[in-house]
Amino acid sequence: MAKTLIVAEIQKGALREATLELVTAARKLGGDVASLVIGSGVGGIAEDLSKKGGGKVLVADDPSLANYNVDGWTRAIRKAVDAEKPELILISNTPIGWDVAGRVAAQLDCGIASDVIKIEPEGSDLVFVRRMFNAKFDARLRVSGTPRVATMQPGASEAYAGSDAGSVVKLDGVGGDARTKFVEIRTAPAGGHDLTKAEIIVSGGRGLQKPENFEAVLKPLVDALGAQMGASRPVVDAGWLPHEYQVGSSGQIVSPKLYVAVGISGAIQHLVGMKNSNFIIAINKDADAPIFEVADVGIVGDLFEIVPALASAVKSAKGG
Amino acid sequence: MKILVCLKQVPHKDARLEIAPDGKWIADANIKFEINDYDNYALEEALRAKDKDPATEVVVATLGPDRVQQSLRTALGMGADRAIQVWDDSLAGADSLSVAKTLAAVAKAEKCDLVLLGLMSDDTNFALTGPILAELLGVPSATGIVSAKLDGGQVEVERELEGGALEVVKLPLPCLLTAQTGMNEVRYASLKGIMQAKKKPLDKKSLGDLGLSAGAVASKSKIEKIYTPPKGSGAEILSGSKDEVAQKFVGKVKELGLL
Ligand SMILES: Cc1cc2nc3c(=O)[nH]c(=O)nc-3n(C[C@H](O)[C@H](O)[C@H](O)COP(=O)(O)OP(=O)(O)OC[C@H]3O[C@@H](n4cnc5c(N)ncnc54)[C@H](O)[C@@H]3O)c2cc1C
Ligand SMILES: Nc1ncnc2c1ncn2[C@@H]1O[C@H](COP(=O)(O)O)[C@@H](O)[C@H]1O
Repeated sequence: MAKTLIVAEIQKGALREATLELVTAARKLGGDVASLVIGSGVGGIAEDLSKKGGGKVLVADDPSLANYNVDGWTRAIRKAVDAEKPELILISNTPIGWDVAGRVAAQLDCGIASDVIKIEPEGSDLVFVRRMFNAKFDARLRVSGTPRVATMQPGASEAYAGSDAGSVVKLDGVGGDARTKFVEIRTAPAGGHDLTKAEIIVSGGRGLQKPENFEAVLKPLVDALGAQMGASRPVVDAGWLPHEYQVGSSGQIVSPKLYVAVGISGAIQHLVGMKNSNFIIAINKDADAPIFEVADVGIVGDLFEIVPALASAVKSAKGG
Repeated sequence: MKILVCLKQVPHKDARLEIAPDGKWIADANIKFEINDYDNYALEEALRAKDKDPATEVVVATLGPDRVQQSLRTALGMGADRAIQVWDDSLAGADSLSVAKTLAAVAKAEKCDLVLLGLMSDDTNFALTGPILAELLGVPSATGIVSAKLDGGQVEVERELEGGALEVVKLPLPCLLTAQTGMNEVRYASLKGIMQAKKKPLDKKSLGDLGLSAGAVASKSKIEKIYTPPKGSGAEILSGSKDEVAQKFVGKVKELGLL
């Protein structure tokens, strides 16, 4: 492997953890590592990355890059690629990553693999391992030719913890117009349903089939356990429950003492929100559902039979 | 105003998926298919623009074998004006770059003000086609949007970030947007719509019809193998009758000190 270019991300004024995960993935491949930091007034962050394994760190520093915009980022990445001629460009699979990575690949007319969890060199090719069908299957995707672009799933590698001395180089000519103009960031209004402090959460997914079933089937178990109710995204998309019930990457990140997932398949975006729970129990009729991989305890069967039985068993255990 | 909606037909959410004997894809000969969920939201957004301004033309395009015509008819039944199917046997297993190059030829021929796609397809989960297509068309783009306000020659959209945060951006037309689920409430095709759909144009085009060749849209990546993820330690599965399972469940909750 000749050279990997890492595209860094900044979050709350510091390097995003996912960027240090890219460092680990790049170093595993051997070869040189270069990085790119994009923003305005980000010299300090570039310094930081150069000491944390980022190798030669290019900085695209321009007032026009103060807020993320896809045109500015595509231009900056292209400059860095032309300067460094990497064989692999690594980007995190985040809202920024999936906005810009495809554009970079299209400009370079090269192969791209998204949401990768593992990279395996094979001869001069790279094979990328990634999930498909919402985590039901894994796939090996072979990308031939160079350069190639890959976006990595946050959390798939450990963050690089070493300290190495790299260098920082300013990249010129990175400013310019953006057609997609940044207006503002709107944060989610604080809802009255804060799941982050709940001790027990019982979440329902698309497997509950109908909004009425949250009241009729799930609620008795929620009440018996003295839990809070949560949900997967399709439940919220369909308007069955408000957004403040949603657990996952675009909802709340929770870590209760007990998380019970009912009729939820276990797509990565849901797992991100609950996998750090102290104890997870999953109920699903599909024995191969990916949720069982993160669960401590599983019950395979029809939730419409099982959940009522659980609710009444908990009630009688409480002597009610 | 003319809007192109690119939609993909994917296995039905409730289809039982098995790996094909060659190990490269799922066995898809005998399963049900449907329009990719994300794409329904893109189509609905286009149809809402048409509801507001009936002069708006909504064209739906898909790349896929003849089974996709059923999904195109569904889209026509919902209210799209015309449908385009592109297929060539060489496109089997096409990667996102190849799909986007093919769709780019369709979009260029149609000269649209707005191109709408889904953020991600539910089978491959690539989330790549939109941005690649935007770059090939040379138009601005925004991905994963949950709202779009058309206003003269521009559109203001909310892009979904993490944790429920939204990024508001403004783009001039023509542009390309990819829809996130939950963006709107998707309509069903009415009976009348389904009847009308039968008479609406559905054109089937080959790569040659688009001025392309298999070589010009060749894939640079290919799926070598799909497999059930290796089981880790996994969950301890509770077995027995449903009452036995319920007793074991209570036992677990008690061990946790939560009962
Ligand atoms: C950018 C982005 C952000 C996202 N953010 C989130 C997020 O924050 N949270 C989130 O949850 N998702 C999120 N998603 C969506 C995610 O990819 C999945 O689509 C979603 O999590 C699936 O929800 P589900 O498990 O309820 O539905 P499905 O995947 O459809 O699973 C339903 C499950 O129910 C089971 N089932 C059905 N009937 C029964 C029965 N009778 N008894 C027992 N089991 C049954 C089925 O076997 C299946 O496993 C996001 C996606 C993207 C692209
Ligand atoms: N074969 C196809 N035909 C038409 N549109 C497609 C096709 N494949 C992908 N798309 C569009 O691109 C979006 C993202 O798909 P993907 O990049 O495969 O995850 C989908 O939601 C569709 O809108």
